Amino acid sequence: MLINIQEEYQPPRHSLPLLQVLVLAMFCVLVLRFWHLQILQGEQNMQRAYANRWREQMVHANRGLLLDSRGVILAENRPSYAVSLVREDCRDIPATLAKISQWTGEPLSKLERLYKNSLEERVPSFSPLALARDVSFEQVARIESQLVNWPGLIVESQQRRFYTYGEMFAHVLGYVALANSKELETYAGLRRGDSVGKQGLELVLENRLRGTKGVTALEVDALGRPLLREEKTSPRSGEDIRLSLDTDLQRAAMTALGKRAGSVVVMEPESGRLLALATSPAYDNNLFTGRFSPSAWNSLRNDERHPLQNRAIQSVYPPGSVWKLMMAAMFLHEGVNPDETVNCTGEFRLGNRVFRCWRAGGHGKVNMRRSLVESCDVYYYQTADRLGIDKLTGFAQTAGFGHPTGIALPSEKAGVVPGREWKLNMRGESWQRGETVNASIGQGYTLVTPVQIAVYVASLLNGGRLMKPLLLRDERPEALGGTPSTEKERAFILEAMRLAVEGRQGTARSIRRADALLGGKTGTAQVVSLGDTRQKPEETRYEYRDHAWMATWGAKGDKKYVVVALVEHGGGGSAAPVVRAVYDHLFAPETAAARGRVAALGYMPRQDVLNDAATDEAIRNSRQWEKFVRQAPDRYERE
Amino acid sequence: MTQSMMEKHPLAQANWVLVLLTIALAGLGLINLYSASAVRLGEGISVDSHFQKQCLWVLLGAGCMLICMFFDYRRLISSAEPLLLLSIALLLLVLFTGGTVRRWLPLGPVNFQPSEAVKISVLLVGAKILSRGKDPLNWKELGGVMLVGLVPAALILKQPDLGTAVIVLLILGGMILYRGVKIKIIKVCVLVLILSPVALVKLVIPNLLDYQRDRILGFVNPEKVNPDSIYQNKQAKIAIGSGQTWGKGYLEGTQSKLRFLPAKHTDFAIAVFGEEWGFAGSVALVALFCFFLLSIYATAREARDSFGSIFTAGVFFYFFWQIFVNIGMVLGMMPVVGIPLPFISYGGSASLVNFCLVGLVLNVSMRRFVFRAV
Repeated sequence: MLINIQEEYQPPRHSLPLLQVLVLAMFCVLVLRFWHLQILQGEQNMQRAYANRWREQMVHANRGLLLDSRGVILAENRPSYAVSLVREDCRDIPATLAKISQWTGEPLSKLERLYKNSLEERVPSFSPLALARDVSFEQVARIESQLVNWPGLIVESQQRRFYTYGEMFAHVLGYVALANSKELETYAGLRRGDSVGKQGLELVLENRLRGTKGVTALEVDALGRPLLREEKTSPRSGEDIRLSLDTDLQRAAMTALGKRAGSVVVMEPESGRLLALATSPAYDNNLFTGRFSPSAWNSLRNDERHPLQNRAIQSVYPPGSVWKLMMAAMFLHEGVNPDETVNCTGEFRLGNRVFRCWRAGGHGKVNMRRSLVESCDVYYYQTADRLGIDKLTGFAQTAGFGHPTGIALPSEKAGVVPGREWKLNMRGESWQRGETVNASIGQGYTLVTPVQIAVYVASLLNGGRLMKPLLLRDERPEALGGTPSTEKERAFILEAMRLAVEGRQGTARSIRRADALLGGKTGTAQVVSLGDTRQKPEETRYEYRDHAWMATWGAKGDKKYVVVALVEHGGGGSAAPVVRAVYDHLFAPETAAARGRVAALGYMPRQDVLNDAATDEAIRNSRQWEKFVRQAPDRYERE
Repeated sequence: MTQSMMEKHPLAQANWVLVLLTIALAGLGLINLYSASAVRLGEGISVDSHFQKQCLWVLLGAGCMLICMFFDYRRLISSAEPLLLLSIALLLLVLFTGGTVRRWLPLGPVNFQPSEAVKISVLLVGAKILSRGKDPLNWKELGGVMLVGLVPAALILKQPDLGTAVIVLLILGGMILYRGVKIKIIKVCVLVLILSPVALVKLVIPNLLDYQRDRILGFVNPEKVNPDSIYQNKQAKIAIGSGQTWGKGYLEGTQSKLRFLPAKHTDFAIAVFGEEWGFAGSVALVALFCFFLLSIYATAREARDSFGSIFTAGVFFYFFWQIFVNIGMVLGMMPVVGIPLPFISYGGSASLVNFCLVGLVLNVSMRRFVFRAV
């Protein structure tokens, strides 16, 4: 038998409940916590788990094309190649970056910055990061052959905006480039690495052109590796948009301007649609879509000839004698009898100041019609001095000057219509009589843009409406105002313009043509006052040469056009050949613009004052025109 | 009554409930580990080798458990100190041979963690010292016992393995409380506990390694520290919480299958379980653990000598602290310290030790009536 050698053992009295209480407490605490996480916050945690594994990936949408009025492609998307890095597959990032730099010539510091940014922005490790964009085909061929040695490197096919005609439409189309941080905030759906409109129509139409990206849901693991792919929405391409511009006409205008600085505006007066909007010198907007070096940018920006400037809407010039179209309308509206004459002796004296007419000997007795046709300055000096500056200011403003025309392009200039208030605000001085005299021939403070002149000339033809200049073919015409001129007053100006082209003494005779009705007004805007001496342009320094203006309209059949040209520092008369070349294109038998049906013209200037017989039978037969011819002179003669 | 007991074979006296609960927990652990070792590839899953290895470990563990049952546990009393010295020697070996993180000793194809052996030997030596005498401990005795834990704990802390070091001390502390100390000492300890947060901030925190500090600070103030160190905790909470009431279903957990959950087969294995079995499964598992602990408690109560009782209480605390600290850590109630969950987490050394300790408790329970008859 075994013997119990010890007393019967009893565990310490306090210790048994201690263990039980511990177990119970643990059970309660843990169950309570499980309840908290799984029941109370269960739904929330479920969503977090879902968000953990489902990622949305954007699928690129094609940007809409830009087409001219007849469907010629002006801006399209072309494939381009990018060398991209897939982080998770890459073994040696610094060496790979160095290799890309060596292959493509991109500075290593830039690649490192891009890489660091992508880490900060938590770009998933499986999604390719485009490090070198727009790599040439030759480089791609060379890189692809070595790609096997560089895991994690891929050549991606991307899309690059391409502008078919480069410089020709650069200022209208603008360009796209990589979106910056501010733009990423502005536009929903834009991601880093996307292109966005920066200038011109690309900027204005950004929301229509961009399209909507598709969304693909990607189930990923914690390393970001995709396991399942589900397309949620397919990408929708941006809208293809047709412009009102005509490529051939634009080319004709650009060719006519040649190397000279200046601009040409061609507008349909009834609708305000622009058929050409040329500015020179221009830049190649394709430069901006690819790899664009800061030095190229600086050389464009610092170019003395300002190629980035859209001279049709962003440059302001003194209108010179073109201003007389507005002044004469103002005179008529203020009740000046057009047959009242002013004796032009070649100068106008005000106190001890002398204001000269461009014709040194003077024009003699000049009525309003002759003042327009022959561009007599003294007529305007005297009449404006009599009426005062306030009338001028008021009328010019209602005629569309001094504020933007509303064209859908960025940074349009308003120009300046001087007046008492303006001078007080700008200079803190009161208005001088002499300044009225200067302003009457579009000198002094007066500044306008070429497109403002076009809108005004169009208003003479369309019943006085100031049309918003339209760049898109399908845009609804919109009148943003109207001149106070009556129909007859406008007809008077048109008639005088016609005479300036067709009359023997007309200053715009050089654009005369047999196959169409034309009216015009020349202008020479002085850049600096040269005193009494009139120098030939060739003898003057370029910056001191006068700007040459030409504001015209032309009609053939049922087609009517307004053509305005400005040649910077071209010297008097240099705008006429430009306008002529544009009309050559508009009215040439082989161009679409010329193939208009001959039909009723609406009102047109009087036949009987023309020196050369009008060639177009339809014009003579126009009943509206007959009516107008009978009524117009009566009114003025009565008054 | 005693007569009839005596006549029975010791096996009949064994704590069979504990055996059943152990089998249940180990089985659940394997089922869960199969899921925890799997990752999704496309639409299918791939299971890595951890599951197979753990199966082997469980079998080996069961063998060890049997061995531990069939000798008189009192024989261990004499070999307690040599075992402790041996495990301390192993700890030193690891410290002087390993790299920056020195927790394992390569033993052929497997890595052995000496800290696991330390846990057993501290249990044995602690039980041996504490079973002398019956009166509550005084300062001197307390100091002697604490020394048994402090030396290995310091070495483990050096590895560095903060969690295991703390667990060793907690086990010893639990045994001391079970044995009983003088009221005066308890009063002092309470005072120290109140003051210790100050000491923690002033002395301990500045001396911890970066990742240890980050984890603890990440627990106290999640916004302030490195996001990586709170990532584990965040993902574990999402995993468990997204299980909701009934869970996502076996092998359907997304947090674990898609690798969002770190250490999913080791320290965070219960997060896999919680995600797939939900609140219902989690409560059942916690309940199972509680019954497991209570059945160890039963043996501690019924043990026939103070060594057996205190040793069993030590085993109780060994499991209790690991379960509580691990689940509490996964649930975000405690800092992330590397403590595995017994039977559920993958781990060879830990599995062997778990089974050995259960075997020793069964050993104690088997022999509770031996020698009792007059």
